[in-house]
Amino acid sequence: MRWVVLGVLSLVVMGVAVVVGPAPIPVSDVWAALLGRGDTVIVGIVRDLRVTRVLLAFLVGGSLAVTGAALQALVRNPLADPYLLGLSGGAGLGAVAAVSLGIGGAWGVPAAAFAGALLAIVVVYRLALAAGHVMDPRVLLLGGVVVGAFAASVMGAFIALSPAAEVRSAMVWLLGGFSGASWLTLTVFGGYAAAPLAFLVGVSRPLDLLTLGEEPATMLGADVERLKRALYVAASLLTAAAVAVAGIIGFVGLVVPHGIRMVWGHGHRQLIPAAFVVGGTLLVVADLIARTAFAPLEMPVGVVTAVIGVPVFVVLIRRWRD
Amino acid sequence: MIRRVLVCASLLVACAGEPRPAAGLDDSGRPLPVGVQARRIVSLSPATTELLFTLGVGSRVVGRTRYDRDPEAALAVPSVGDGLQPNVEVVLAQRPDLVVFYHAAANTPAMARIERAGVPIVALRLDGLDDLVRGTRLLGVLLGVETRADSLVRDLEARLAALASPAGGGGAALLVWTDPPIVIGRSSFLSEIIERAGWANVFGDIQQPSSTVSIEVVAARRPDVLIGGASVLETIRSRAEWAVVDAVREHRLVALEGSAFTHPSYRAPEAIAEVRARLAAVPR
Repeated sequence: MRWVVLGVLSLVVMGVAVVVGPAPIPVSDVWAALLGRGDTVIVGIVRDLRVTRVLLAFLVGGSLAVTGAALQALVRNPLADPYLLGLSGGAGLGAVAAVSLGIGGAWGVPAAAFAGALLAIVVVYRLALAAGHVMDPRVLLLGGVVVGAFAASVMGAFIALSPAAEVRSAMVWLLGGFSGASWLTLTVFGGYAAAPLAFLVGVSRPLDLLTLGEEPATMLGADVERLKRALYVAASLLTAAAVAVAGIIGFVGLVVPHGIRMVWGHGHRQLIPAAFVVGGTLLVVADLIARTAFAPLEMPVGVVTAVIGVPVFVVLIRRWRD
Repeated sequence: MIRRVLVCASLLVACAGEPRPAAGLDDSGRPLPVGVQARRIVSLSPATTELLFTLGVGSRVVGRTRYDRDPEAALAVPSVGDGLQPNVEVVLAQRPDLVVFYHAAANTPAMARIERAGVPIVALRLDGLDDLVRGTRLLGVLLGVETRADSLVRDLEARLAALASPAGGGGAALLVWTDPPIVIGRSSFLSEIIERAGWANVFGDIQQPSSTVSIEVVAARRPDVLIGGASVLETIRSRAEWAVVDAVREHRLVALEGSAFTHPSYRAPEAIAEVRARLAAVPR
């Protein structure tokens, strides 16, 4: 029953997000445009801009929430979110460096952000293994924080030394948004994300064991070491791709898994798929607000996720403590 | 026009706050440092640096920002770095007897520190051609080149009047960035150039100099022409999602490059004429 409600809700939200936009188009015209009839510009807006944008927002939101849930289990820390492990710093440095150094072109900024995130992943991974041959979640956390801080300060240097207007554009891009959504980005991201997402859904039971602690998990038959490494790699690769298509969108990966745990329990077999649907739906709503609230101006979607995510979270925490 | 009046009525503070100071005051309301025989001037914005050279006092300029690249002779002047929140120590090291600031809130602390060091300052905000005329007269008086200033202004006004024609153009969208899409609004100099060329900025309702919008909005405003820098236009051509915009699909794109479009100068009439010719050449 819960799943039916969740599924219907997400479909309704996506439908509304296709019908409503900064350019006022009557519902009947939207319907005709979906079938390819009517004015070319309106058909283009509905089919190539709105539909791709809604689907991409859903995929990215779902990926971020699933990644957050998996990382919280991996490091056994409720503060974990997809960007915690140095990824936002690496991606930000990549994006700002590309803009400052004039590496432009159609895909310059997203590609550089992806490369920066990958670099951060490799460095943090090596750090986490440096202290012996076991991946220590505490070292992973610390490594992520220091690598992120280092990347952020190099990024600060680029910002201080580069022409203001261009760097401002890179910063706005980093704050997150789906203006780059197209059938191409949707296909590339969807194809890329399928494998890590399937892996994270597939390890629900080992994740349950891992939350008990590493020793009990080992005793119950989980190959903890391999699981941790695979989790880290899958979660990070997924986040890096999300950053490349949409910038850094906070709070979805932190708030959604906690919210579901509070109302739905801790089992990862429920949590991971539910996080995907709720995270996706939440980001579709946030993007809808970002592009319509101050139309024709557009807000960074990361700002909106924080503005709606934090109050929701506060309510949940209060309920939880009662 | 009616809309402009309404906007001003609802935003009294903003419009009343536009710098239109009385004679003898600069854009920050400071009294002009008359009587100063300025021989060593540091100029902290592209528009004022170019204006000083146009006024024929370029040889007195001993410092500029790293963005001031016009006229070519200005490149020989040492750069002091940024013009917004300038490095006060580097500015003072040029031993200026006058510092010309870009008037902005971000510069208030630097202005105060330069004044405290005993160096006279002038704060000017030259964002459009009316500002340029005001700045020319003001600097002409201050630097003892009033005759030159008067003839420049008369010449500019005559050339602008010769260019004035009924608005026969269509609507243009001015795009400065693609990730995310950032368009130019009403208060940017390029928007003024487009309007003086007889065209309309389809984002003229946006008050800010520039703002982030979605591609959907650009498509829905149906600009006759899309204007941008060469690299921005190249990006737009290579991305499928931009084909939703009529002007992109039908190759009605115009690349504008050069500082004549980014800050007000006495090259503006040529810039306006160029824009008008380039836009007229686009098939509609």
